[in-house]
Amino acid sequence: MSLALAVPLLLLIASCLVVIGPDRTLHTRTKLAAYPVGAAFVCAMVILWLVATEGPITVRFYDPASIASLAFPIGLYIDRLSAVMMTLITGVSTVIYCYSIGYMYQDRHVRRYLALICFTDFVLLCMVSSANLMMLFLFWQVLSYLLYLLAHNHAHPATLRGAFKTFTLLRVADAAFLAGIVLAYQLYGTLEFQDLFARTAGNPITLSLWPGLEISAATAITSLLFIGAMGKSAQFPLHLWLPGSLFAPTPVHALLHAGIINAGGFLINRLAPLFGLSSTTLHIAFVVGTLTAILGASMMLAQNDIKKTLGFSTIGQMGYMIMECGLGAFSLAVFHLIAHGLFKATVFLNCGNVIHKARQEPAFPHTDPHAEEQEFSRLTWFTGFTTTLFIPLLILLVTHGALHIPLLESQGTVIFLFFIWITSSQAILTLTRLRAVASWKVSSAMLLTLLFVMFVYLFAVESFTAFLYPNSQEVASYFKAGDLPDWLFDLMIIVATLTTIAGWFYLYMRALGRSVWMPSWVESVRTRLYVLFMNRLYADEIYQKLGGVVVRFLDRFDKSVRGWSQ
Amino acid sequence: MMDGAIASWLLAGVPLLGAALSFAVWSRPDYLRNWSVVLSILSLAAAAGMSGSLATSSENLLLVYLLPIAACAAVLGQPVHKNLRLSWTMTLLFLGLGFVILTNQRIVGQVCLLVLLSSLIVLLYRHHTPLWPISWFGIGAYALAVGCVTISLVAAPPLSSIASLLACAILLPLVPFHSGYITSITRLPGSLPSFIVLLLPAIGIHILATTISTVPDVAMSTMTVLALVSALYGSIKALAQSRVRLLLAYGSLSFFSIFWWFVSISHRITPQAVVFLAALSLVTSGLLMSWQVVRTRYGDDVDPQAISGLVRRMPHFTVLFSLLALAAMGLPPFGVFTGFIGMLLTTALTSSVALLVIMIVWLAASWYILDMVQQLLFGRERSDLRYEDLRRSELASLLIVLLIVIALGIAPSNLFGITEPPSNAQAVKESVSWNR
Repeated sequence: MSLALAVPLLLLIASCLVVIGPDRTLHTRTKLAAYPVGAAFVCAMVILWLVATEGPITVRFYDPASIASLAFPIGLYIDRLSAVMMTLITGVSTVIYCYSIGYMYQDRHVRRYLALICFTDFVLLCMVSSANLMMLFLFWQVLSYLLYLLAHNHAHPATLRGAFKTFTLLRVADAAFLAGIVLAYQLYGTLEFQDLFARTAGNPITLSLWPGLEISAATAITSLLFIGAMGKSAQFPLHLWLPGSLFAPTPVHALLHAGIINAGGFLINRLAPLFGLSSTTLHIAFVVGTLTAILGASMMLAQNDIKKTLGFSTIGQMGYMIMECGLGAFSLAVFHLIAHGLFKATVFLNCGNVIHKARQEPAFPHTDPHAEEQEFSRLTWFTGFTTTLFIPLLILLVTHGALHIPLLESQGTVIFLFFIWITSSQAILTLTRLRAVASWKVSSAMLLTLLFVMFVYLFAVESFTAFLYPNSQEVASYFKAGDLPDWLFDLMIIVATLTTIAGWFYLYMRALGRSVWMPSWVESVRTRLYVLFMNRLYADEIYQKLGGVVVRFLDRFDKSVRGWSQ
Repeated sequence: MMDGAIASWLLAGVPLLGAALSFAVWSRPDYLRNWSVVLSILSLAAAAGMSGSLATSSENLLLVYLLPIAACAAVLGQPVHKNLRLSWTMTLLFLGLGFVILTNQRIVGQVCLLVLLSSLIVLLYRHHTPLWPISWFGIGAYALAVGCVTISLVAAPPLSSIASLLACAILLPLVPFHSGYITSITRLPGSLPSFIVLLLPAIGIHILATTISTVPDVAMSTMTVLALVSALYGSIKALAQSRVRLLLAYGSLSFFSIFWWFVSISHRITPQAVVFLAALSLVTSGLLMSWQVVRTRYGDDVDPQAISGLVRRMPHFTVLFSLLALAAMGLPPFGVFTGFIGMLLTTALTSSVALLVIMIVWLAASWYILDMVQQLLFGRERSDLRYEDLRRSELASLLIVLLIVIALGIAPSNLFGITEPPSNAQAVKESVSWNR
């Protein structure tokens, strides 16, 4: 118990250590604060081991049966999911904090930023180890405000506008989250996780929203909670706060993209038994996630700013993660968010150095197109083709046709296979584009990549899923809930496969130096889409225009009743 | 054990006597302010000492404790100036009248309420400036309240109940009877607005608690609709304001309307509702005191955009003002959030439209309050402005309010008598309709 409490408290201590004290000892104190941050990581790992071997830890400072403790029911419930998240958060925080001590050295706002980073970690840890939905919501809201504080710089108007946008958009999601909590409590009389899951499953209720329009209580509650998750995980159309907050220092972004933004994925996983009761919400999540993944990735390709590129890449990845949740692959989503978190933290921390270096050396980064080898490599392309198309197809035919393993009967299995294929082909494509040279090294790297991706996914499918959700029937029920109609599912797989193969073909022809014939309208659409994505779908302008309309209405309304009310 | 009526008069006697004696130090504004602060603290001590003898409910007792604290903070937050002497004395007088109304029998209390309302009418008639011209709507609203209280004294139910309900709608503001409240916050001098913002709603809730059981259902249903309209109206008006005092007045109006909605659908005043109302009033009071800090330095009704960049030069003010703003937005761990959540969870809601309106109002508060905070605190510093952080008395006044609001948020709720089970604690068993 004391160890479970120590993890968040150590970060609170680190935050206080940075904030309290005179300026002359600030640097020493910031260095000292790294110890409690590191200690929290060690404690989190011990907790992970304890939870994995001895079961969940529950600490309650309230009486769940008493109405007196409704508004502030503080307690901890640490199961495997919480323990994994705690380890991720403290691990990433340790790296980010140690990096920030040097990176933010002599910055005017160093005290504020470092203290806020530690305090945000404290809030994140309390959130992921919440004993009930109300406590989770309490820290969820505090996180919204902390994001506002982290994203803003007092004297920079653009930053202030971005921070304001961040807070207001997150509050929209918070309001929906609160409505979901109220509905859950009104219908089932509890906010304790296990009780809520049991009551919702055991007592299906139908709500009449409008005469003739009925909806299940599970769908209504999870839809509202999902909107809450959409806000924190920057899902379309609530994604605008993320690009708007990109003025913040780079370590803050490392924390944001590696930790805070995963809150949506965590929420859905924490409430997986509830989401598993509503196919409708899972399908909505799938659509929203897919849309966000496509738009995020497309906008990322059209950006010319390193931080914006990374920002939109995160939006795309979060869309991917929510899409996985929508398909019922909850454990895969957690695996994805861990991998993405570690990757993005590394990239953002490195990006800070690149930006600093670029400021010192105007010629950096060096771009010399003639230095790149232009020669087409048959070996590289052959290996790429074999690893991304031939081997997966062969495996599929052997297992399905010769060994009679019914791989394609469950959408869940197809989803995993498809993600293995997409991920490996994307990695290999990136390798090919980076170094299109005839080298056995590149070819071996491709084969290794394929093997690595396959083993990683096999680990995610088997060990990690079994670790997070030991009950295999529960996992199967989530996949069942996320099942799409067969024709739609097959159509989507076929379209995605054809698009990927067409992409390969297009790149292959371009690499050969041959022109690919395209109808003129395709070229024209491509140009228009490029402009559209480069301008981020003009979403900021649309919101601004909408804001202008609202302000004009408010002014008119205010003037019309001014004489009476003032 | 002392008789309840005697205890009530003894309690009220402290600030009333203090108000009477304040004329002895009238020529020394600094003495007078200190005198008012000391009398407020003595009133609090008297309330604590006589709490066992007062014939009042536990929820009322909370308000009885909060009144002298609010009076003390309101006076402390003022600069020493001869023009503010009347407001300090009137604060003591109103504190005394408030004690009598909250702790005394019906007729005596209502007579004191008539005195209080009449004093407000006189003050509003006298105090107006070119920036804040005389508001006949505000004066008219209080005149209507005087009429309603008189009718409730002489008429029989249900007329007396409806008259009391109308008086409550003026004291605890609800559209279309909110002009008195708006006018009081914007026009009254010195420490009065930040005290009145707690006193009037406290009296309103007290009268409501005594009459709610006799109010006809039709009237309560009307109040339900009015409360939703009022909540939306207050939010829209707050969003459109650029003048801080109006913004705070309309913002609090929209939150008071949420309180009205819960009371009118549950037909009772729950302890959670009292916590919400007390915290909301105190937060509004604290924000008015913060604005007073700005007014003291940069003049009355200054445009917040014109004095940006306070954050670096006024760090104490920034921290306290930001925390009060967070409380006003309904964020944890402050009392407004606790009361709001308490009301939402313990009242059986049957309308999805109402829930939507409440969520919009709650969300809108984040918008207009954060906008105000951002305009005032952030942005570029101006070299032509002299920045001066909080003086000790100002710091103390804001700190008192903030600590009380946090205490209301995180203190164990059974301290305020919240022990009874909710009406809907058990799971519902059949399909429910949410389309009313």
